[in-house]
Amino acid sequence: MSTHTQAERARFDGRVAEQREGRHAQALLNEALEAGAGEAEVVAQGSETIAVRFEGEELKLSSADSGSALGLRVFDDKRMGFSSTNQVGPDARQRAAMGALGLARCSPQDAANVLPVHVAVTREVDACDDQLSALGVADIVALARDLVARTLAIDPRLRLDSSEVSLRRGAGAVHSSAGVAASASSTSLSLSLFGMAVDAEDVGGFDYWGGHALNLEAFEGLATESITRFSDAALGNLGAQSSESYTGPVLFSPSAFMDVFVQPLVAAASAIAVQRGRSSLKGKLGQTIATSEFNLLDDPTDRRLMGLGAFDREGTPTQPFKIIQDGVLQAYLYNGYAAAVDGVLSTGHAAGGARSVPGLGAHGLSVAPGDGGSAKDMLGHLDRGLLVGRFSGSVDPASGDFSGVAKSGRWVEAGEIVRPVRETLFGGNLFDLLPQILRLSSEAEGVMGAAFSPWAMVDGVAVTAG
Amino acid sequence: MERTSSSDPTDLLKEALEADGGPNVELRYHSKRTRSVSVENGRVDQARLAEHAGVGVRVQAAGIYGFASTASLEVGAIRAAVEDARAAAVASAESGKGSGETRALPPVDLAQGCFSEPGFEELQAKPIEDRLDWVLGIEARTRAASASIQSAVCRYAEVFEEKGIVTSDGAKAWTRLVRPEFATSAVAAKDGEIQRGARSVGSTGAWDCLFRRADPEQYSEEAAAMAVNLLRAGHVEGGRKRVILSPSLVGLLTHEAIGHTVEADFVAAGSCAQGRMGQQVASELVTLCDSGASEYLPGAGGTLAVDDEGVLAGRTEIIRAGILTSYLHDRRSAAEFGVPPTGNARAWEYDDAPLIRMRNTYIEPGTSSLEEMIAATEDGLLLDGPKNGQADANGEFMFGTLQAWPIKRGVRGELLRGTNISGTAFDVLRSVTAVGGEFEWDLGSGHCGKGQPMKVDAGGPWLACEVLVGGQVQ
Repeated sequence: MSTHTQAERARFDGRVAEQREGRHAQALLNEALEAGAGEAEVVAQGSETIAVRFEGEELKLSSADSGSALGLRVFDDKRMGFSSTNQVGPDARQRAAMGALGLARCSPQDAANVLPVHVAVTREVDACDDQLSALGVADIVALARDLVARTLAIDPRLRLDSSEVSLRRGAGAVHSSAGVAASASSTSLSLSLFGMAVDAEDVGGFDYWGGHALNLEAFEGLATESITRFSDAALGNLGAQSSESYTGPVLFSPSAFMDVFVQPLVAAASAIAVQRGRSSLKGKLGQTIATSEFNLLDDPTDRRLMGLGAFDREGTPTQPFKIIQDGVLQAYLYNGYAAAVDGVLSTGHAAGGARSVPGLGAHGLSVAPGDGGSAKDMLGHLDRGLLVGRFSGSVDPASGDFSGVAKSGRWVEAGEIVRPVRETLFGGNLFDLLPQILRLSSEAEGVMGAAFSPWAMVDGVAVTAG
Repeated sequence: MERTSSSDPTDLLKEALEADGGPNVELRYHSKRTRSVSVENGRVDQARLAEHAGVGVRVQAAGIYGFASTASLEVGAIRAAVEDARAAAVASAESGKGSGETRALPPVDLAQGCFSEPGFEELQAKPIEDRLDWVLGIEARTRAASASIQSAVCRYAEVFEEKGIVTSDGAKAWTRLVRPEFATSAVAAKDGEIQRGARSVGSTGAWDCLFRRADPEQYSEEAAAMAVNLLRAGHVEGGRKRVILSPSLVGLLTHEAIGHTVEADFVAAGSCAQGRMGQQVASELVTLCDSGASEYLPGAGGTLAVDDEGVLAGRTEIIRAGILTSYLHDRRSAAEFGVPPTGNARAWEYDDAPLIRMRNTYIEPGTSSLEEMIAATEDGLLLDGPKNGQADANGEFMFGTLQAWPIKRGVRGELLRGTNISGTAFDVLRSVTAVGGEFEWDLGSGHCGKGQPMKVDAGGPWLACEVLVGGQVQ
């Protein structure tokens, strides 16, 4: 274990970091195979982070940190075991190997417990930036101070509970006994703003905004956008009043539309959910499940999104993947396990980190814009009703039932926002309502660096006001 | 040296601290070992062992906290991390305006000695292989409960945590505890309708705490029955209503709607609790507390003897007989507010810096029985089972509930589907008309999220109050 301080460490070099993680992965893989595993797969991840956190106007914490994680999955006669450790020494490797193998040997057999078919990764993703590779604590502090000062200068009623700027530089490698030996490295800057507006006795509802950027120029754009969005939402939440109960059209922001409709829809399109009888999309491949204007793509090549990458958690290559086209369900998402159950190839959707068994999920979701015009134009189509800024609630991806509170919600009359709302619940069933999307805005907006979506007007939503 | 478990790390931390010799240094060794098993439809999704251990270092310099960590328990590596943390703080102070002054922390009795919660050795001695067989059996039992059940899941995890906390102003504590967690769920389908039933429990301690209220087989039956019964259940009618909240929902109310708004960092930012100290914010029937101990019943999931700054984690009365009496503090916020720290500084893992977090949050029991509360309700709902919950800076909250029953003229009706409820925290607490006498901890599974996850618990008695209920619009 190195005892060098951060100040003594060299500038980040992605290729060197990838080689280091590759060595860690291969060493643990060898240990597991020598211990008797029939098949094995190791994910190694290492990162260094500089994070600066403000509470209010005050800098509270500067963190300069680094860490590693190793995850080992073994298969022994179609039985699976898993272990993870943040230690990279020989004793820890041996404990991890013996632990995973011990678990496998007492697990039941499952014919789908095999490594995914090895497919070579041919696409390269350059996600390391020279400038970000050289930044230090003082640089991140300066970015954070600027972010806080610019935000609070907008209006004296704004309060920041917390705000953070963090720089992450890291690398990961996947090695397996099936021949996988993939690695990647990246540098990124991220920010978050979390707070509200206070005007005498009136405490507005909180809001937050943030995202990530691959270089300083993109970070500046992200900061400007985040400050505007956060301050508009927080100030707009002051003076909230009750709204009205009705069933009918509701205008969803890109964030709310993702949370209520898109993310649960993707969970239902998981092949494992379908295989295990907890998806309403079972048997719906090739069928129309939404309005014909609705198109949903999972795009790991989109450099604006955090899911950028060339391979998934199992080392399977990733590529742009159509989930919904013209309202028709195109495909289910598969990782290696689900693919083995159905006897097909993985679609490259193994997800998760080194500390757990690979899960299943999308990389970078993007809902295509429609022809509804700008967000303001969309408002013009709402004669009287609710605009949902954020969703605080729950969605059952199995049934599609959702219910929650409209956060940063607004009451709209004759196409104009007339007041912010409080204590306004809304609900429905997403599978019933996807065919009732009335229109999508003509531009998609970023959602916290994780997705892109337009504004969406959806009919048939039940709104309950206090 | 690769440390495994169960030996006092504080002497080594003290050696590193003395070798550094600087002031305002806090060292925290934190080992987390997890054993977990998850089974769905007879297939093992997770059979997992995980270890995550190292030393987190916080140094206050020039008025700013610097943080760094190391996965190594060697004196040289810890000293290097101290230098990293100090350098981060100094670089931050030099790069712009800051207070420039290291704030004196308020005097407090810091913990010294060994603090071990029950159950650590007992659960550690049980092989994970036995747990796997047991989870497979419970999942199969849930799935077989009804022909309508399409899918069942059973999960079990136990997390062994050991910490050594040594500070330059005198803390030297070694703590050990184990937190087991059990969850079972079922999905039932009929005529195109899909419904889910779920039960989960989490505790600090061994299985006598985890399964105190019911055994795992009973939880399995309850989850299966819930999924099947909800298939034929009707919808709740929405609107503002009198309700009786179960202890689990009371736990959500205390944690989400009140607890977060009284965390001192959130208060300083302007939460609805700011400036309300000493004011009547709830019915006189309500006394609301947060405690590091497991009050009334053993095994609450957020139990800890010492917080991550070395402060003894005692009991804090937040609201006494309806009057707001305290916020929740770490040492720094206590200095800023001019009050003693309350032992609420907690970090998720060694490489996380401590934040102000709750422990076990609850409303104290009253004198009413559930039967009396139902009989006194003319038109309302009985609500049970937390699905999720969130609250806002202004105290507005949203909770999902799993099940509901109508109450008409003092009589409980047939099961309805769960719904969401909303309200403003202090308004709801002012509307309380009865507090039950039976107490239950019921929020020990899952995690609270505030930048970092955290194990907490919450609970209380049955509570009669008024909230906004989501549902079909008439």
